[in-house]
Amino acid sequence: MKNVKNISFGGKLLLLVFFISGISNKCVAQDVDYKAYTLFVYNFMKYVEWPEAQSKGDFVVCIFGESPVHKELAGLASTKKLKGRNIVVKTITKPEEAAGCQLLYVSSSKSGNIKVLKEQMMGKPILIVGEREGLAKKGAELSFVTLDDDALKFDINKKEIEQHQLKISSQLISLGILVD
Amino acid sequence: MRKSYYCLLFVFFLLNVGSYAQEQTTPVAITDSTKKDTLNFYDMTIEQLLSLKAHGVPSEMEKLINSLISVASKKPLNVRESPSIVSLVTAEEIKNSGARDLIDVLRLVPGVDFGMDVEGVVGIGMRGNWAHEGKVLVLLDGQEINEILFASTQFGNHFAIDQIKKIEIIRGPGSAIYGGYAEYGVINIITKQGGDINGVAVSGIYGQTAKDFMRRNINLSAGKKIGDFEWSVSGMVGQGQRSDRDYTDIYGNTYNLAGNSNLNPAYANVGMSYKGLSFRGIGDFYQTTIRDGNDLASPKPFNQNFNSAYFELKYLWKVNNKLTITPKLNYKNQSPWNTPVGDSTNGRYSRTATRSTANITASYSPTRKINIVFGTEYYQDVAKDKLDSSTFAYNGTQKISFYNYAFFAQGLLKTRFVNIILGARYDRQNVYGDAFVPRVGLTKKYNRFHFKALYSNSFRAPSIQNIDGSLTTGITPEKTQVVELELGYQITHNSIFTINFFDITTLHPIVYYLDTTNAKYPDAYKNSNQSGTRGIEAEYKIKDKWGYINVNYSFYTAAGKQRIDDYSVSNNNAALLGFANHRVNLNASLNITKNLSINPSASFYSARWGYATVDSTGTSVLQKFKPMTLVNIFLQYKTPVKGLSVGLGVYNLFDQNFSFIQPYNGYHAPMPSPSREFIFRLSYNFNFKAKTTN
Repeated sequence: MKNVKNISFGGKLLLLVFFISGISNKCVAQDVDYKAYTLFVYNFMKYVEWPEAQSKGDFVVCIFGESPVHKELAGLASTKKLKGRNIVVKTITKPEEAAGCQLLYVSSSKSGNIKVLKEQMMGKPILIVGEREGLAKKGAELSFVTLDDDALKFDINKKEIEQHQLKISSQLISLGILVD
Repeated sequence: MRKSYYCLLFVFFLLNVGSYAQEQTTPVAITDSTKKDTLNFYDMTIEQLLSLKAHGVPSEMEKLINSLISVASKKPLNVRESPSIVSLVTAEEIKNSGARDLIDVLRLVPGVDFGMDVEGVVGIGMRGNWAHEGKVLVLLDGQEINEILFASTQFGNHFAIDQIKKIEIIRGPGSAIYGGYAEYGVINIITKQGGDINGVAVSGIYGQTAKDFMRRNINLSAGKKIGDFEWSVSGMVGQGQRSDRDYTDIYGNTYNLAGNSNLNPAYANVGMSYKGLSFRGIGDFYQTTIRDGNDLASPKPFNQNFNSAYFELKYLWKVNNKLTITPKLNYKNQSPWNTPVGDSTNGRYSRTATRSTANITASYSPTRKINIVFGTEYYQDVAKDKLDSSTFAYNGTQKISFYNYAFFAQGLLKTRFVNIILGARYDRQNVYGDAFVPRVGLTKKYNRFHFKALYSNSFRAPSIQNIDGSLTTGITPEKTQVVELELGYQITHNSIFTINFFDITTLHPIVYYLDTTNAKYPDAYKNSNQSGTRGIEAEYKIKDKWGYINVNYSFYTAAGKQRIDDYSVSNNNAALLGFANHRVNLNASLNITKNLSINPSASFYSARWGYATVDSTGTSVLQKFKPMTLVNIFLQYKTPVKGLSVGLGVYNLFDQNFSFIQPYNGYHAPMPSPSREFIFRLSYNFNFKAKTTN
């Protein structure tokens, strides 16, 4: 008892916090749910229309940079098809490798490359999806955003979508937020 | 010892890091079951995307901490990023706890406490500071409840807590938004509206001690939302008493409070809205009987009433997606502390006061990351003395009138690294002059961790009676500077720990004194030197399917702060008159079955100081009151009858002699609260059926 008394109040508090958090380890706090991101991406594939030439063969999703979404997209690709087409997921490390992709997912770590990507992909039928908020204003066609109440939404740059010869359904537009 | 402590700390740290690392690195094999889950998940309809959250399916706790509140910023922000130290109390928590009145609800919130004023009235304290007169703003559906003669709010079987949807509490300054009554805090009570009620709700409480009944109240609400039109009508009527124990005034006169301390509420609240247009009308008639007076007990009880009516007309004009303009008109008419028949020791008092307010506020969000709120407000106060023989000292007549205008602005910039809030309000009143209160705040949530660093100025506007009682010395608004730092960590899906440090310095606080040179108007006010507190508040909350546990600890000290003699404990620099230095609260709800819950709550008070007697020379004697723990327990059962629930509980289970102590040396003895009280609650909600079409 005497020993316990020797610990300062701040020390006891710190001990308590670590103890509580330690015993609660089977139920960790929520981190980003990339499965939800993947579901959005899957719906982007379903509700965006590519030109005829891009509507055959495998549907190729490229992930630029490392992102936990890769694992989820790979899981999706192993269980689902897109209108009878296989979904292929691959990681690219350079913008030039995106040539054969229908959908280019730009991870947060590569968001600084968005201007380069925009220039290199200009006019090509590639849907550029930004993981980080704000990318739809800088060149991506769609980018994710987390609202104050933690709702997951996405920004839509309609001008960029048209410029990439893609058509977005009105249903998808109604779920997103149009940016200038 | 030190070594073993660090070992223990290290072990717990590893436990955390280990569990986190495991979570990060464990590979997920795609098994048949995960495939099945995946298939179901990805088969969601496009409309179901609307419900997705960035951090997965939220737990009940996450819903709470991610819920948006606007009390601290006007612009809705989640609790963890809101630019104030805030607490949120939900209807579920109020109902589960079995709380008898707002005192029971608010005393469980860190920072909030109650003390004795005079004439049977119990008032609020915030972070160890007496905040009863004009220092904590109480809003009820947007209406400023503080009466404008003294700026006080009266607690004890007063407000209809069964009708509350939620309470948003700023445990720090709010003047930069709300003006001169929000110096130390804001309590924003939001009642259930038409869409929440969607039918009829009836509830009642009966409380009984060994000696007498303590309360018997009935609540009734009805409301519905039909398209863009929403209406609600609610009311409460009841009878209550402050206590059943003996009260002994500072001079040793004793009487029993049963039958001598009525707290009888009668209240009605009407709300209507159509699209952006809304109307609110509230009538609050709080009838009390008292014998305690200011110091010397009266030979028999007499009535003292607090009657108020509030009206508001508001239009929320959405000019476009970026700009909203809200013009608002408010009117309130109050006759507080109304004592039509006094006695030899307590004179008559009958004054009314009205405030007419016009406010226009614009909110402009050029981007999602930027929000600017700005506006202006004008109000006029008129007070009348209704007693033939009585006049205001200010002008020697039975009517006085003042006006005030204000400008306010706030900018919010959200960046990836930090949210920056800058705001200020400028008020100018025609008698006491102006007050300018800027504030700056930095907040951010980084996944599990969040922080808030806040520096705020705030002020207390002198009330009508303050102005009237300060002709000799003059009076200016008292000003407060507050520094706050909050750190929070979401430990698990269903638990969070927060801790905050604060430092409050009040310059030129307004204090009461007896002007012995003025026989006609002896009640006087003046600005004193300086006061304040500093301290820590920590809170741990866990919520899951089995229920929830909220535990908080508060520490307040006056050490290192200048003090006002009548608010100080002469032999203890750290102590605060009337309030404990250490407080611990527990509020829990445990689901025994799907329909039965057991809800314990408790409040620990460390030793308190106050005045309860006088010495042979008639001077008040400082006294130390021993530490005390109030324990309550409430059982709630949802019956098989749809909408009907019953509750049974005991407040003050161990029959402690708890009293509300006067937090200043005003010669009023501590006012006892009820002894062990058994309570019975009954509530029934009848929902209107949704209209079906063939």
